[in-house]
Amino acid sequence: MKNFQKNLQKLEAADTQVLGVSMDSPFANKAFADQIGVTFPLLSDWGGDVTHQYGVYVDKYKAARRVNFLVGKDGKILEEQLDSEAIDPTKIVDACQRKPLKD
Amino acid sequence: MLRAETKPAPSLKVGDVAPDFTLQYFTGSDLKNVKLSDYRGKKNVVLAFYIFAFTGG
Repeated sequence: MKNFQKNLQKLEAADTQVLGVSMDSPFANKAFADQIGVTFPLLSDWGGDVTHQYGVYVDKYKAARRVNFLVGKDGKILEEQLDSEAIDPTKIVDACQRKPLKD
Repeated sequence: MLRAETKPAPSLKVGDVAPDFTLQYFTGSDLKNVKLSDYRGKKNVVLAFYIFAFTGG
């Protein structure tokens, strides 16, 4: 999440909203956001419905995998980053900057 | 190098429509709803799924 925070200005300049998602409660997520200095929303998927819907639930952790999805303005997935690859969001930042927003 | 345990790819692929959802976050004073489709036609959205609060990454 911190790496997205570092790139937040670039992402916002490229018309991109960052949303963290985990199966923690909204209150735990807020405390986490404050602790690490994240200013974008960390959404609470309490119960895991969305995590399941996106196919990123891992039985072993009883939680989500570390996965980033870039969703375009048309609602379609433009990029995906999985697991350790998802720690460094450069690919997503580049993709946002590459797609000067035609609409 | 240790090879990471192989896990299946997520069921959603590049080019698929991202399923809509409404989820909440706490602003410090209120719970706020965020609906994915509200960004449709306006902004790109990065959805960053992570394992648990208070873990790295």
